[in-house]
Order: sequence, then structure tokens, then C-alpha cells
Amino acid sequence: MVKNTPTICSFCSNGCGMFVRSDGKEAIGCLPMTLHPVSEGRLCHRGWNRFQNLRSFNRLSLPLVREGSNLKEVTWPEALQKTTEKISELLSRYGPQSLGVIGSPWLTNEDNYRIARFSRDILGTNHLDGSYRFSGAAALAALNQLFSGSFGSLGSIPAIAQTPTILVIGKECCRDFSPVGSRLIKAFLHGSTVILADPLCTRKEHFFKYLLPHPIQSLAAAFRDKESLPPEVSAHLFQPGLALIFLADQVDSASSLVSLLQSLSPRPPTENPLPLMIPLSRSPNLKGAWDMGIQPGEGGLTLQEMLDEESHVKGLILFGDDLLNHLPTSSMLEKFKNLEFVLVADRFFTETARMAHCVLPIPLLAETRGTMTNSEGRVQKLRPFLGPQKENRPVADILYDLSRRLGKDFPVFSEPEVRREISKNISPYTKVASESDLEEVGGILLPAPTAPLPCELPEAAEQATEENRYRLLVPNTLYAWNRNQMIHESPVLRMEYPSDRPAVRMNPLDAKELKIRMGEKVKVRSDRGETQAPVEVDENIPSKVLMLPSHFVEVVESLAGKAVRDVTTRTLFFPSLSVTVEKL
Amino acid sequence: MEQVVLQKSNLNHWVELMHGGFQVVAPSRVHGEIFFLPHAGQLESDLLCGNATLPYLPPKDIVFPQSETLFSFTRDAGDIAFSIPEKAFERLVILGIRSCDTAGIHWLDNFYLNNFRDFYYHDRRDNLTLISIACNQPMNNCFCICCEGGPFLNPEKAAFDIQLVDLDEHYLVECNSEKGKELVNLNRSLFSPPDPAMVEARDQLEKKSHTLFLHEPTSYMSTAIRRITSNSVPPEVWTELGERCFDDGGCTFVCPCCSCFGVGYSSKGETGCHYRFWDSCDYSGFTREVSGHNPRAEKGERFKRRFFHKLSYQYVKRDGRIGCVGCGRCITACPGEVGMPAVVERLRRG
Repeated sequence: MVKNTPTICSFCSNGCGMFVRSDGKEAIGCLPMTLHPVSEGRLCHRGWNRFQNLRSFNRLSLPLVREGSNLKEVTWPEALQKTTEKISELLSRYGPQSLGVIGSPWLTNEDNYRIARFSRDILGTNHLDGSYRFSGAAALAALNQLFSGSFGSLGSIPAIAQTPTILVIGKECCRDFSPVGSRLIKAFLHGSTVILADPLCTRKEHFFKYLLPHPIQSLAAAFRDKESLPPEVSAHLFQPGLALIFLADQVDSASSLVSLLQSLSPRPPTENPLPLMIPLSRSPNLKGAWDMGIQPGEGGLTLQEMLDEESHVKGLILFGDDLLNHLPTSSMLEKFKNLEFVLVADRFFTETARMAHCVLPIPLLAETRGTMTNSEGRVQKLRPFLGPQKENRPVADILYDLSRRLGKDFPVFSEPEVRREISKNISPYTKVASESDLEEVGGILLPAPTAPLPCELPEAAEQATEENRYRLLVPNTLYAWNRNQMIHESPVLRMEYPSDRPAVRMNPLDAKELKIRMGEKVKVRSDRGETQAPVEVDENIPSKVLMLPSHFVEVVESLAGKAVRDVTTRTLFFPSLSVTVEKL
Repeated sequence: MEQVVLQKSNLNHWVELMHGGFQVVAPSRVHGEIFFLPHAGQLESDLLCGNATLPYLPPKDIVFPQSETLFSFTRDAGDIAFSIPEKAFERLVILGIRSCDTAGIHWLDNFYLNNFRDFYYHDRRDNLTLISIACNQPMNNCFCICCEGGPFLNPEKAAFDIQLVDLDEHYLVECNSEKGKELVNLNRSLFSPPDPAMVEARDQLEKKSHTLFLHEPTSYMSTAIRRITSNSVPPEVWTELGERCFDDGGCTFVCPCCSCFGVGYSSKGETGCHYRFWDSCDYSGFTREVSGHNPRAEKGERFKRRFFHKLSYQYVKRDGRIGCVGCGRCITACPGEVGMPAVVERLRRG
């Protein structure tokens, strides 16, 4: 008969409470919790279909070790021995700084904490980071700077419904994150003013009162020059009681977020406190992984720097992430291919796993115990609803075994023991040692930070669009849903998020003017380069704007040339460009 | 229809007797939320009374699971062997199903048994006995009164085997089928004939319960049906309603009447399976064709289609009733606050 396990969804950063229904062998359904403060009986279509991807036959079943151009199935002792030999070889030949370690927002807080300790104490390297370096780190780094450290909770999702003014940056914050969207609708029905800022929107939904055609990068400038805003918008925005909803994955430089917050709160924070903020992410544990220390240590390299051509990193140890899916430039892929050793511990046979020297199967989040931190700063328990797969080993076991084989002593911590250590070492997480609080529906909401500090970060310049030229926007799509392995594994969800092809998206009227039909190729030229790409006509794209998803790395690079470096997060991004379009 | 009386204190004993030939599921709490679960130990009596809370997941998943394997296959030395899963149950009693959910199963019977005989559904449904409980008191979101989904079931129109009416210390037990009688006959001495005062009390409860429902959908439903049937809802209304739809599918999953499913395949090496799962007309992939063309690409169009199927008279004529039993779960499930009553109210305004 059916067993109902209360747990949390692990698709995105909202951390909705759900029951997963299983028949003892496999998951057969999901139901949102009505008593959970985030979900309140609601889920998005990913959540409702979460059980489906667990049927996948594409799970890694046995460890793999590279033999020439092939990966061969081996036993665990063989795989661990091979890994140990490789790590020892790199350590003795080049020293600990030749190794990089990658944690993951698709792992629990406890596993990320263990990985950080393993990296620091066992391998002795400070080169520790996550793939979110390219999708999310900029937002978290900006908030860290403002609050001089880890910032706990900046507001709760249910509180959005009571906020008089809500600024939503990017339509997908509402559409793709239904607990947030649901509160926006509630607020709208109660008379709140909901403002949308989105440069890729031609028709706003009726519950948005105003549409500002700006990306997050240029919102601060628009807010400072208040004359460019409709006066009613200014009247709403610069009052206390504002909620700011944005997708952390889309923030490409820390300075853009800091400038935005400062433009919204020009007076001392005590007079006009910072808005309630929900930094959303398409990964489930972005904030948790970041807070657990999956960041470069003192003198350590970011993932960007580890994969720089000049970098002295020779080996990478990757946990729970399909890294190649999230790389923003092709030179990084080249560097990755040339690494002497890559260990991948993951659930599926991903593109990254295919290129590894050693692959270790780990459990799904559905089979794992531990906690995750959602975008509100809510720490909640995952409860496994599937038994462990025969040949999978938890990350903790792998780390323990590797340490022992490397002649070091890595403690065998249970989950509660790790949480006790986290509560001592990571300041906003003091309460996570309380198992009874964690057992409650909704878990523990981290404390709100103290007042923000003044903070100035160097800004990236925005280019003006000239007459007869198009503005090319390159939104960060490295974590796009149609690139998520768990979406691919679900028959319903892969139909909802069909894969896209490398193309520039253009407004239908612009296409008509240039006599371009769907699929026809155009030459797009910027000051930095040019490319040829097919056109996809999209009525959501405003006139004189082109959109190119950033995950089409080669097309983006040939057009945008070298990416811009964000000094704060030490990573690259592609700012919007002024381009010309020519029919071929 | 035979009416007998059962003292509430004898309910547990009656259920114990059922275990001789049936599995029994009854509403139970898991972390504060209510599910239909196999009965073990004491029944949660507050979930079996006339004003009990409606479980969020209707027991439709017992006859039509959220996902199920249809068949598996393996190839061994050139021969392909097929197998279908073992039966979920031999004989099952659902105790405490609410009127709206019973009406929902009746609707599913029409879809899965009358148009064509679905092997998997039929196998479960044939071995199922429904002990429904009439509702003396609606919950906040209930509007079954205007959808013929309750609060009391009409024996001629519903598929219940037994309807229990909560009369404080007693249940009035109304047997509506041979399956129902079989359960009463497990031990006739537990039951007594009702005195006329009890029958009168039952009728008074039914009358009183009718006055306790939401007013708006009750009075607007017929207008909505008329407007949808005559295609007189302006397209911009559907666009506006569609903008509030999050394509989440929650309303269809918790709807006791929604019957759509998709089919998936999974295989590795020499083994694999073919399975089906709840699908939703909210989803853009539901109607997208292989070419990529989607006849209902806009959310407003999908929204219109959903409510057309639920409320249009052409389906009422074919299926005998509207595709809504008024349980109100879509109100809880909808992030956009466009559950059935909100839509009906919006359609009335035109």
C-alpha cells in the first residue's frame, strides 16, 4: 500500500513542502502539503511531476573508470583505489593547489559542508567552488558584501502577499516559481501594486500594473534618473514596504544588484530599510551550498579561474553537478578536456560524466537525508522516500573512504552531528542543531541580518543603443530548465521544456521588416565580432531587441568576443550589445 | 433502498468484520494532513463524521493511480516475455469517502467503463465497495450543492454502495447495492431498523445542509454553463483567466473527475516497462503535435478548453452531468486563484 513521506521539493530554490507517495519500490505520486508555509497546497508542474524522473533507467549503476577512450564498469574498491592513486600522484607532483573541488547546489547542506572540509583538511586546497559561479554567485556575493557575511533570511515568501509594492525583475520569477507567483496574485487581489521589470516582454499580464523595459543591469540607472520613470512608479517604489523578487541566476555582476539596492534605498537604511528580498534560483540549494563554504578559500581560485587556460589546476573533483552544462565559454571546455584527472560523483551519466576519468554513482536527493536552504533562508529536512540503490554510495561515505586511502582521518559524522558543527561555525545557522525545530513543517527560518553596510562596487558600463541598431540581450540561461537532467528524465516535463536550438529570437514586426522568415539565417554583427544564426520569431521580444540565450556558448562568443569580468565574483558575463542584423 | 441504524460505538467492530474478506482504507492523518490509508488499529472518528475535513487528495487515485505500470517486458535469448503487475487489491472497501468524491468516481466510471472498458480501471473498480458519508456541514470551499456532488447523494444518480448519515450517536446506513448489503450482512445483529424520528432527522439534516453553502457559485453556475455553451464568453476574458493560470496542473490532479493520462516508456538493455501517469490539459505539451505546432499554444486557449469540457452542455448531454462535483479542491490547488468558483463568477460578469 501507498506510503506518504513528507519532504521538500528539490527542483528549485522555493523548497515547497510535499508528500511523495511510494509503493515501497518506487515513487508513484506527489501531493503538496496544505500546512506548509511556502506551498500551502500548491506546487508548480515540476513539483507535481517530481516523482516521474525517479523511474529513470539512466541512473548510474556502477562506478566507472576510464580505460583509453572508454569508461569501464568496475567495483567500488577498484574505483576508489584508482581515484586515490590519481589524487596522490597530482598531490606529490604538483602540490595540493593543483586540485580543484566543486560542490553543488544539488547537494544537501551537510554534504556541501563535508565537501568543504574534505577540500580544506584532507586535500589542502583552497580551490573550492560551485557551478553557480556562473549563475547565482554574483547575487550572493553582492548580498554578502552588503551584510558583511552570510545574511540569513531577507524575507519570507508568504510575506509577499502583504507587501504594498512588489518589484518583479523578470517575468519568469512569477511564472516559473508558483509559490512566489501565487503571493503576487494574492497581493494584487488585495490592492498591492505589482511592477514588472523585463526587457523581454511585449505584453504584461493584467496583474502587473506597470512594465519597465529594463534588465536588472540598467534598473539602477533608470531609478536614479527618476524623470525616465512614470511618476506613479516612483511614488510606489521609493516608499518603505517594498518586496523585490529577482532570479539570482540572472544577476551577472554583483555591482548591478548593489547599485539597484542603493538606488532603491538612497537614505540610511534605518530610514528606508532594504526591501524584502527573495533571490530565486533554478537550483534547489544555491544559498545552502554557498553558506556551507562552497566558495574559494583564502587565495583560492574561482571555478572561472580554475578553468582558465593559464591556470595551474590539473585535476577536478566534482560532486553532484553536470558542470559542462553550465560553462559560459568554450575555452573552459577546452581546459576541462585537458585536465589530467576528473572525478565525477553524480546520479546520471551526464555529458560531464562521459568526459571524466572516474565516475562514482551517488544517491538522488530523493534517497538522501539532510537539509537544504531555500531562497527565503528556510532550512528544511529532506526525507528519503526511496531506498538506497544497491551500488550507490552517499557522498559522506566516498569522502571518508578517499580520506582513509589517502592516509588521513576524516570524521564519520552523522547528519545531526554535521548540523551541530554547522551551527557552531556558520553564524546564521545557529538554530539548525535543534532537531525538534527541524522536524516541524516548514523547518527553521534563518534570522534576518542586521542593517546593511554602505558598499560600493565597480560597475560595468551599459552601452546605449544607436539608431537602426538592435540591442542584443544575452540572458543567463546556464541553469535553464530544459538543460536540467531531472527535467529530461520526466516524460511530462521534457514536453513542457522542449530543447531549443541555437537561434536569435526576434520580434515578428522586425522580422517582417527585414523580410526574414522563421528559421532563416541572418548575419548579426557587433563591434566585437559577428555570427550567422537562424532567426526564431518570438512575439514576446520587443521591437529592436534580439535575444540570444547564453548557453549557446559558441554563437555568443563569436558575436560578443571576450566576456566582461565581474571583479567581485571573479567571473565572466556577456553584457548587452548593440548589433546590426542583415538578411543573408 | 434499505435503511438500517448502526451505533457509532459498533463501527470499529463492523470494520474488524470486514477484514475477513476485504482490505479497508479509511481517512487517517499523516503529519497533520488527511489521506485514505489502510485501516489499522482505531479509526479516527472525527474524520468519519458529518462535518469532517475533506482529504486534499481524492481517493480517485485508488482506482486511477497517479502513475502505474501497464506492463513490463524482458528479452531472454530471443524470447520476449511480457508481464502485467500484480493486482493492487483483491477486494477493497473505502470507508468514509465523501459525497463529492463518490460522485467523482461515478464520473470516472462513465469515462473508463462506458466508452471503452479500461482493463486496469475495471479490475480495481469491480472489486471496490464505497461507504460514503453524507456531509452535514460544508467546508469553506465546498459548492457541491450546485454540481449534484452532494452534500447528500441521490441513490438513483450516484455510485455509492452504502451512504452513512451522521446522527450524533448513530449512523443511518443506507444500502444502495448488493455490495453494500454484503457488508451489512457480515453481522446483521449490529444493525437495527430506524425509528421514524431518525428518518425525519436525516431529512432535516439534508435540508439544513443545503442552506450552508457558498452563495456565489450556486447562483452563477447555470449562467456560466449557458455562456460557455453558447460561446458567448469574450476571448479577452479567457486571455485574462489564462494569465492567472500557472500551467501547474494541480487543479486537474486534485479534481475527482479529471481522467486524462499520458503514457511513457522506459527501458534499459533487455528490460523495460510501459506506464501511464496523470496528465493535465493545463500543460502546453498536452496538445503539442509532433511537428511542434500546438493548436492550444496560448494559456487562455487551454484554459477555455478545460472549462469547456467541464461545463459545456454538449458534454452534459453526453455524460449526464457537468465535469465538476463541487469539492472545491481546485481553489486550494490554484496558485492563480482561478479555481472553479472564481472562473464561474468571472464568466457571469462576461
